[in-house]
Amino acid sequence: MKSAMKILTRYVLSAAGVALVLLVVNFAAFVAWAVLSGKVAQKDYHISQLADGLTESNGIYTLSESARDTIKQRYQWAMLLNENGSVIWSENLPDDLPLVYSVSDVAGFTRWYLKGYPVNVWQHSDGLLVLGNAKDSMWKYSLEYSQTFMDSALMWIPAILIFNGIVAVLLALLFGLRLFHSLAPLAKGIEDMAKKRPVALTPRGLLGDLADGINQTSAQLTRQEADLSRRDNARAAWISGVSHDIRTPLSIVMGHASQLEDDPELPLSKREQAGVIRRRSEQIKTLVNDLNLASKLEYDMQPVQRNLIALAALLRQVAADFINGGLPESDSIDVIINDGAQNARITGDEQLLRRAISNLITNSIRHNPSGCSVRVTLENGTGNCSISVSDNGIGFTKEQLVDLNRSTSSAMLENHGIGLTIVRQIVRAHGGTAVFRNLAEGGCSVVLCLPVGAVDDR
Amino acid sequence: MTDVFNCKILIVDDEPELRGMVSGILHREGFVKIVSAADCKEARRLFAREKPDAVILDVSLPDGDGFLLMREFRAASAVPVLFLSARDEDEDRLLGLGLGADDYMTKPFLPRELTLRLCAVLSRAYFPVVLRRSEKPVFRLGETQIDFNSGTVVTKTDRFTLTAKEFALLERLYVNRGNIVTGDSLCRAAWGDDLYGYENTLMVHMRRLREKIEPEPSLPRYLITVRGLGYKLTGVDGE
Repeated sequence: MKSAMKILTRYVLSAAGVALVLLVVNFAAFVAWAVLSGKVAQKDYHISQLADGLTESNGIYTLSESARDTIKQRYQWAMLLNENGSVIWSENLPDDLPLVYSVSDVAGFTRWYLKGYPVNVWQHSDGLLVLGNAKDSMWKYSLEYSQTFMDSALMWIPAILIFNGIVAVLLALLFGLRLFHSLAPLAKGIEDMAKKRPVALTPRGLLGDLADGINQTSAQLTRQEADLSRRDNARAAWISGVSHDIRTPLSIVMGHASQLEDDPELPLSKREQAGVIRRRSEQIKTLVNDLNLASKLEYDMQPVQRNLIALAALLRQVAADFINGGLPESDSIDVIINDGAQNARITGDEQLLRRAISNLITNSIRHNPSGCSVRVTLENGTGNCSISVSDNGIGFTKEQLVDLNRSTSSAMLENHGIGLTIVRQIVRAHGGTAVFRNLAEGGCSVVLCLPVGAVDDR
Repeated sequence: MTDVFNCKILIVDDEPELRGMVSGILHREGFVKIVSAADCKEARRLFAREKPDAVILDVSLPDGDGFLLMREFRAASAVPVLFLSARDEDEDRLLGLGLGADDYMTKPFLPRELTLRLCAVLSRAYFPVVLRRSEKPVFRLGETQIDFNSGTVVTKTDRFTLTAKEFALLERLYVNRGNIVTGDSLCRAAWGDDLYGYENTLMVHMRRLREKIEPEPSLPRYLITVRGLGYKLTGVDGE
């Protein structure tokens, strides 16, 4: 809407500007033309030259050769009247013209026509030189205005300009408003389209084609959106279905293995084997759960809770859970809460964040079977909190780092388990960033930067 | 009925192997009266005829929905129901529990977990708290005896009474004995809040607690500090 308003303002201003410029240009051109053509019409130069070219000797008038040529070329005829009004010399004089003129005749044709011939007159030493043009070749009009009117020209010319300007603006506004009215629904339609809402404009008037185009584009987008979400839904539903179907057979495997493991009648070696089956089944169970969570996060189908979470307490709890769950002797976990971060709180999903931190710690422990010390650090920034999980183990390979830090694809990571994918997805769902790197002194560090504010509301 | 193992259990699951396994697990654990059904129809018939004391119910059944079946059962009696489902969606879990299920377990599960949960459900339902011994634990830390009933600590030479906060802290540590309890968890037990702002208060209380339960409070043997995380109660005996 804002942009349509801007368009309208621009349109009105430019239309008014164009009108004014045209007016000024036209006015100037008209004045220049009038002045120039007036000069031509008076032919000051030629007629005076002609008068000079007419000389008298012993009562016989002769016209200079050049003047004669000029008459031939430009005027049809010429005559010289003496003080009494009689023609004392003529050139090409038409037959229908009299040879004597009264004062009133002279006064009549001086500024106008002589029997339909447009004429010009010039004072000659022996009388009045009259030059006649062919009939209908000239249009004569004499201008007369009152002096006060011409004196106030400085007032009225700008006044007319201003008046014209106002009229131009008003007209432009009128047409602009009409344009605005037809543009407004289009602008609204485009806005809606950007927000993925279906658009149905009535294709009418000047911009009907445009409205049609927008409708079609919107329909196309809606269709694509529906296709995409259908595909995503299908994919997530498929994974969820597979994991559902795996659970029942896995229950049976796990149940029997566990019973065999506890069966005192079996020899120890058999019971140990059953224990392996049981543990591996539990691993499959975790994998299935992870796969399900990852696919739901990928397609934004995992509900993300929004609660205020005290991060320091969360990190301590995660670390305590790991240690309580039986951390190998060779491993250690330290939690370091920096000054100022003791009371750091963010809005987010506690279960998911706990999962992300746990996955990182698990990753460090699992990839360093000979033991490592894990350090979990919480820092408070401006508007965000960063949690880093680092270890002194073997670190990531180069390919893994490239893969993990690739911002676009959050699909399953090729060189790594699903655990780190889930970490990235969880951080993304919280509107944060995850940076994976190796440390110069050995080991790796993963920094999760989470905004303090509300969870990204997608 | 004198104990939970005399309860009659109805297992409803469409997977025969799973039914067999679950009844095997329960049998081994000591349950003797076990009936099982493969679908809603059979379950209804058995429910009416056998009048089970508890039902282990799958959510997806070939001819219906476990949730609806539970409502039917509940309309007839207050029988405890434990769901055993392959659906682990939070919504399903919450729906089941919201409808009044006594517990909700997802497959796959460990046999031990199933029997523990089932026993818990049964004893809640048929052996209520008032009938059980309401005594609180009494335990020893080396030479020191701690009695949560009277809230007293008796050492070789002395006899202390625990304050309310000390009691809350020690109880939380005792319940999680052998495990690290974070400072936040202790503060929630005593003051209902996270550690932030209570660091010094907690330290003071732990020192006082040590003065009562440790033979040498400056060299704690039982109430161990885990740097950066919290505390741990170890060396508990007399259970």
